[in-house]
Amino acid sequence: MSVVDYSQELSVVEGKPPLRSLDDLIAKPLEVKPDRKFYIALSVTLSMLGLFVIGLALTFWYGIGMWGNNNPVGWAFDIVNFVFWVGIGHAGTLISAILFLFRQKWRTGIARFAEGMTIFAVMTALLFPLIHVGRPWLDGWLLPYPNQHGVWTNFTSPLLWDVFAVSTYFAVSLIFWYVGLIPDFGSLRERATGKFKKIIYSTFSLGWRFSNRHWHHYEMVYLILAGFATPLVLSVHTIVSFDFAVSIIPGWHTTIFPPYFVAGAVFSGFAMVQNVLIAVRKIFNYEHIITVDTLEKMNKIMLVTGSMVGYAYAMEFFIAWYSGVQAETFTFFNRALGPYAWAYWIMVTCNVISPQLFWVKKIRRSVPVMFVIAIFVNVGMWFERFVIVVTSLSRDFLPSSWAYYTPTYVDFMILIGSFGFFFTWILLFTKALPVVSMAEVKAVVDGSQPSHEDH
Amino acid sequence: MNEKILYSYTGVFNSPNAIINAAEKVSEKGYKKYDVHTPYPLHGMNKAMKLPPSKLGYVALVIGLSGALSALLLMFWMSAVDYPIVIGGKPLFSFPAYVPVIFEVTVLSASIATVLTMLFIFFKLPNNAHPLHGTEYMKNVAADKYGISIQAEDEKFDEVEVKKLLEECGAINITAIYYDEEEINHKHKILEPKFIGFLLFTALLTSGVSYFTLNKVLYMSPFNWMMEQNKLNPQSTSTIFADGFGMRNPVEGTIPRGYLPYPYKGQPEAAGVNLINPLPVTKQILDIGQKKFDIYCSPCHGFNGEGDSRLRGQFPNPPSLHSEKVRTWSDGRIFHVITDGQNIMPSYSSQLNTDEKWAVVHYIRTLQRALNAKESDLQ
Amino acid sequence: MSTTQNFEYQKKQIPKKIQTIGLALFLIGLITVGIGYITDTTRVAFNNIIIFSFLTSIGLGSLFLVAIEYLGGAVWSTPFRRVPEFLSATLLLLPFIVLPLLFSMGNIFHWLHPEVMNADKILKSKAPYLDITFFIIRVAAFIVIWILFYLLITRNSKKQDIVNDQSLTKKNIKLSAVFIPFFALTISFTAIDWLMSLEPHWFSTIYGVYYFSGSVLAALAASTIIIVLLNENGYLVKGLKPDHYYSLGALLFAFTNFWAYIAFSQYLLIWYANLPEETFWFLQRWDGNWIIISIGLIFIRFVIPYFGLLSQPSKMNPKRLLIMSSVILFAHWYDLYWLAMPNYSKDGFILGWQELGFILFAVGLIMLIFNFMAKKNNLVPIGDPKLKRGIDFRL
Repeated sequence: MSVVDYSQELSVVEGKPPLRSLDDLIAKPLEVKPDRKFYIALSVTLSMLGLFVIGLALTFWYGIGMWGNNNPVGWAFDIVNFVFWVGIGHAGTLISAILFLFRQKWRTGIARFAEGMTIFAVMTALLFPLIHVGRPWLDGWLLPYPNQHGVWTNFTSPLLWDVFAVSTYFAVSLIFWYVGLIPDFGSLRERATGKFKKIIYSTFSLGWRFSNRHWHHYEMVYLILAGFATPLVLSVHTIVSFDFAVSIIPGWHTTIFPPYFVAGAVFSGFAMVQNVLIAVRKIFNYEHIITVDTLEKMNKIMLVTGSMVGYAYAMEFFIAWYSGVQAETFTFFNRALGPYAWAYWIMVTCNVISPQLFWVKKIRRSVPVMFVIAIFVNVGMWFERFVIVVTSLSRDFLPSSWAYYTPTYVDFMILIGSFGFFFTWILLFTKALPVVSMAEVKAVVDGSQPSHEDH
Repeated sequence: MNEKILYSYTGVFNSPNAIINAAEKVSEKGYKKYDVHTPYPLHGMNKAMKLPPSKLGYVALVIGLSGALSALLLMFWMSAVDYPIVIGGKPLFSFPAYVPVIFEVTVLSASIATVLTMLFIFFKLPNNAHPLHGTEYMKNVAADKYGISIQAEDEKFDEVEVKKLLEECGAINITAIYYDEEEINHKHKILEPKFIGFLLFTALLTSGVSYFTLNKVLYMSPFNWMMEQNKLNPQSTSTIFADGFGMRNPVEGTIPRGYLPYPYKGQPEAAGVNLINPLPVTKQILDIGQKKFDIYCSPCHGFNGEGDSRLRGQFPNPPSLHSEKVRTWSDGRIFHVITDGQNIMPSYSSQLNTDEKWAVVHYIRTLQRALNAKESDLQ
Repeated sequence: MSTTQNFEYQKKQIPKKIQTIGLALFLIGLITVGIGYITDTTRVAFNNIIIFSFLTSIGLGSLFLVAIEYLGGAVWSTPFRRVPEFLSATLLLLPFIVLPLLFSMGNIFHWLHPEVMNADKILKSKAPYLDITFFIIRVAAFIVIWILFYLLITRNSKKQDIVNDQSLTKKNIKLSAVFIPFFALTISFTAIDWLMSLEPHWFSTIYGVYYFSGSVLAALAASTIIIVLLNENGYLVKGLKPDHYYSLGALLFAFTNFWAYIAFSQYLLIWYANLPEETFWFLQRWDGNWIIISIGLIFIRFVIPYFGLLSQPSKMNPKRLLIMSSVILFAHWYDLYWLAMPNYSKDGFILGWQELGFILFAVGLIMLIFNFMAKKNNLVPIGDPKLKRGIDFRL
């Protein structure tokens, strides 16, 4: 690496590829038949999805007794998975909305993919509350609709806020994604040769004409949507954290939960995006679009959010002691030294210690190392939710009803299956839609914007 | 060929700077109906084309605020007016708890409204029948070229001038774009059968799905382990018992809780002598007596005990309770009639318990006093 | 290495009246405070805490803004980075503002009295942390750390004006990266030490973040006021566009929302869980006429700046920016007053010359600091490699 010249803007896209070559490259996966590797990958994820289906069938047929949940630990894997997957989704919105507001151009290469991941992660997450209600065919009751019983939903319940938050999040992410896709559908429509493809792309492009009179409003709407999505993404994980924090269970009721959950969500989401993108850029030859610089920046964000999470752990611990409330103090010592200490220390190692390696520039820029660290982060963030949910419940106020929670094979089937569900969507996505935004990437190639000398 | 109607003249440019210059020139010349087509938004193009700032922000603001307000009002009405239930000791209208939902509804309504307004009202999309579609020009601007298109509709449009202008700007590949046959003759008619059919289909589909969801799906019960149990329900047949009844009679000699045998069955006189009303005359007891009398006795005896039945002769009318005979009966004697029945009147033991019977007796006495008041009552 | 810098910057001396007015305000404030310390020690000591927290916010928040610019590689703020740099010089004066507090602490902190501590089981358990020696060590260490980072970061920046060396930027990026973790911890514990421990029974894990959000907002508002005034009067480089103002306005807007988010989270969780050991703190601020101050806080700190800066044109309008920044800056003092004062006057809020004196003192002090720094240094970091890009910045 040569010395960085701060007086020049770094190029987001390496080299200065002709714009048409970018189109060709991005559209290629959609225009060639999937190869064997794709089918192998798909069969793996589909088998995982099969496990999911079996796990759910067992759960519905025999009841929730198939899970390891016991009397004090009434919430376990299901809610852990829910929070985990919602968290994964947050990176996508962060990249597409917050970094957009901050005018970070490096987001363009990864935004589309990250947004796609948001949608699939939220879909995965949404499954869990629907399963968790126990009678999934009654899920409709979660919405306030006028019915002959004259019953309305309970608007003071954080679980109902969840319904609103997650469904809004899903809807807005989908809209955001689609709005971003419209110009690309237009480009694909112009490229398409087959009649069927042309009809499909024409339909979805709505007849987009690349007109500047449209771009003008389009950019405004993109800004507005980003402005909405930014507080929205904060609100979603905040509300997820309210599920715990409005209660009085020690270890759950602490005021730092909202920002701490959001930081954790972004943290885990970036780890997941980074993991998948490393594979994508390799397979599709996007190394010059999703550059090492971009990955390094993602690692920096992981370092920041990971440290925020570490700050929250420390602050919680300190205040638990400082509060002088016996149950609070006990809960935190119990986390670190009690029967679930193994989970706690996995969490601390993966979430707080491992991202600290990103202080070293070499590690930040080494693709294999960052891949491993990001996997650690994913594991750690899953365990964070596990620690929060299970340790607090397994030992709360009443020592006579303490119990140890052990998950069953059905719990694991559902956990593994949720990954299958998520990755199946991801695989289909890479073959169905451009995984990098063609219009946005073209806009940030060097020389693609007018120079302002004459103004 | 000459039959075709001209839509516009287009010129294609290779560099962003060139298109910005071209746009500036065209707008300076006073053309109004022209457009620039670029594969991605160009910085500075809005200024070059002199476009006013987008008004879409107002749509977002207005719809967002109305979303917030309606969410608040709806929640207020649902949880404080229509279905008020205290949950967790929170007030019926607990504003802090409504903030999350208000926020979500605001964001949802504003985002959807803004995008729909942009696509359908501002852009008039979907429109796949625009003259520019399917041209080489569109293929170019969709990939890596920058194009400008000056429409024939413009007041200042003049084929030669426009061509010259585009050449001056340095456009490569200047082409004329014509309307397609279909595009000209096609009119959007509201009464087109296809369109009405589409509307009908949508209406049927929506109402069908809503009906099915709200009335069937939500009441579905695929796994009803708890409701369907291996036990006999009342009224159902049974193979265990010879008579086939699922419901059994109690064992002979079973008596209900608190039951006392009535010793004067068939002995009205003895009852009249031996039974004494144990209840005091209070307002409360008289109220009970009145209530029970009105329910069980008044259909035949009448509300005032005058024997004026409301049954319109379906039963023989009973004698008046104000007769000399009944007035001189002791409380126990009346009690006996209620318990054992008399003539056509059946026993009311299964309707009234002992205390209630005595209360009714007190009430009958009150009625009698009301019609045949004593001298002392007037004082 | 460095490219030729083709921009015009002619250093203009800032007018003398800044110094005069600043000095006048400062002196009036100082005298008022001095009298107050003699006549009304406890109340003035409380105000001293408020003003200490306020000036810490400005100084530390400004240093944070400088550090964030280096770390984020932002260019739009480079042309006026000197303003937060100057403001962070406030950190140098913090020892003098803490000093009077050290003598009047007994009036303010319950936990300084062993008999109070020993009588209460909960307070007793906190004794290792709420300990006078440890407290003073913490306060001193924090101030030393801040001053150290201030000196290191601004020294490199000033040196760059002369030597024009890009490696200094790199050095500062590294320094900033080290500064941020220190910043996060020190600012949180400063908030806990000075403000939260006024009510030693009460606790909230988000408290540090709350103070952080307000501090950055205050520093940003103070910087914005100065930047807009300087730029409108032509003291900065030419070519700063509405785009620069827009970025400042957007940041103000974003942090306003962030503050509201943090404040609401804290309130909602405590309101909802309804635990007596937490709710009493809010109830104190709801009793008597404190409710006016509490409701006012929502408006002055969130509603007014929110709607004032919501639209795109308003973020680019210098006048609007000036007004809103002043509101936000005042709101930070107001917020600190709301945090600290209910412990002094439980029955209702009080406002008088004691409060006003300290405000004048703080405003005068900031003006003097700025004046002093502006005389000695360039108002624009002319040696910064990012400057040209910063001036050309477009949205």
